Amino acid sequence: MSNAQDQEPFEKSKSHSKTYSLVELVRAPTTMADHGPDESIFSFPVVALLESLLTLGVVAFLVIMSLAINAPLEEIANPNTTTDPAKAPWYFMGLQELLEHGHPTLMAVLMPTLMVLFVMAIPYLDNVREGAGVWFTSKKGKKITLYTAVYTLIAMPTYIFLDSTFPLREILRGQLPDFILQAAFPGLIMTVIVLLPLVFVWRTKPTPREWVMTLFTILFVGAIVFTLTGFLFRGPGFKLY
Amino acid sequence: MSKLQDFIVNSRVWRSFFRHGWPDNPLDRSLVMTSNIFFHLHSVKVSRKSLRWSYSLGLGIISAIVFAVLTITGLLLMFYYAPTVERAYGYIITLQTLVPFGQLLRNLHRWSAHLMVLVVVMHMARVFYTGAYKPPREFNWVVGVILLLLTLGASFTGYLLPWDQLAYWAITVGTSVAAYEPMMGSTVKAFLLGGPEVGQEALTRFYALHIMLIPLGIGLLTSLHIWRVRKDGGLAANAVKDGGNNE
Repeated sequence: MSNAQDQEPFEKSKSHSKTYSLVELVRAPTTMADHGPDESIFSFPVVALLESLLTLGVVAFLVIMSLAINAPLEEIANPNTTTDPAKAPWYFMGLQELLEHGHPTLMAVLMPTLMVLFVMAIPYLDNVREGAGVWFTSKKGKKITLYTAVYTLIAMPTYIFLDSTFPLREILRGQLPDFILQAAFPGLIMTVIVLLPLVFVWRTKPTPREWVMTLFTILFVGAIVFTLTGFLFRGPGFKLY
Repeated sequence: MSKLQDFIVNSRVWRSFFRHGWPDNPLDRSLVMTSNIFFHLHSVKVSRKSLRWSYSLGLGIISAIVFAVLTITGLLLMFYYAPTVERAYGYIITLQTLVPFGQLLRNLHRWSAHLMVLVVVMHMARVFYTGAYKPPREFNWVVGVILLLLTLGASFTGYLLPWDQLAYWAITVGTSVAAYEPMMGSTVKAFLLGGPEVGQEALTRFYALHIMLIPLGIGLLTSLHIWRVRKDGGLAANAVKDGGNNE
């Protein structure tokens, strides 16, 4: 074995007949290096079949549901009679619920815009290649997601409940400027609720992936909480019940 | 029987349709994918890992399927509808009571619309928690977020079309939110509604957005989305080494 190394296997490359050269080293995955045995199969017919089966399943589900439940239809639109409560479609109920808790520009415009911008920016905040393709990336990631989700499930409903039952913004109305009561105050509370878990995560020396996972989980679970609250627990006059 | 099959498969008519032989060998199985417009968004071969339901939950494909159901049922609904304040509601009543399978058709479209929003949101969560947005898939994630917003837009604009109390007040509430934006808000609201409140102009605009502009955008971006999945090497699960947990 050691003999082979002594023979200088690259000796030939010094000759003038060499027709290749090292041009550049690129840090990128190659197609086959480091990959195990080829585990791929032909898309046809397996994938085509799976997709057809899935189509049948989805259509069957939709047909059964459509046979069982009729789409709602109320009386003809009447601009003079307001429905109570007047609710947006369910996927915008989170926004409508947010409106109950502060200045509309803060709650219905600034917050959702920031959320969408954050979600779009995720791959640029966490641009490490490693950790893709595995649920929660690591055990720590799973733990962070779980704890953050539980925290959000407690913090957000508590906030909604407290803000609706003891509305400081209404009690102090007229005593403090509207800007402080309706925008600065709820904005501060929201920021603290959202950023608090990040302080705890910070102490565990998180990777970029774990940072965004914490923040995404708060926003995602928070959005679900607000949507469900608005959709399920708001009755006439948009009161909690 | 096999003679008949040979005759058909080798006939000039068949050969003009399909430019490949019977897909029972690697070459023809590749050609099925690369020479077929419906299949060419797929790669010729896929890794077994990316086919695991526990990884992808099939949510991306399901949203594409639901979108197809929405396109077909939506087209059929267009035969029995006109976006005018005087007649829209009457058309829905006619559809539900007089048109054969009309109620079923409308139910299908309605529940598919809700399901699509749900599935697309779940798909986003799946992609996020599996880290599938990481390089080189950053841009495709952004395309996905835009697709989510378009899905919400498609569902929201469709909500008004039955012109009943539910539709009218949901859109009134929904569009009033837009007006809270301090700089562009009232302009956006006026652009959407075409007037100070929900009326004929709003119905016309929502209809055009719902049946043409937004579906066109979704169709185009979905093609880009799926095509880029293939270009980026399939699902992110493929990149994971065996037994590796990336720790």
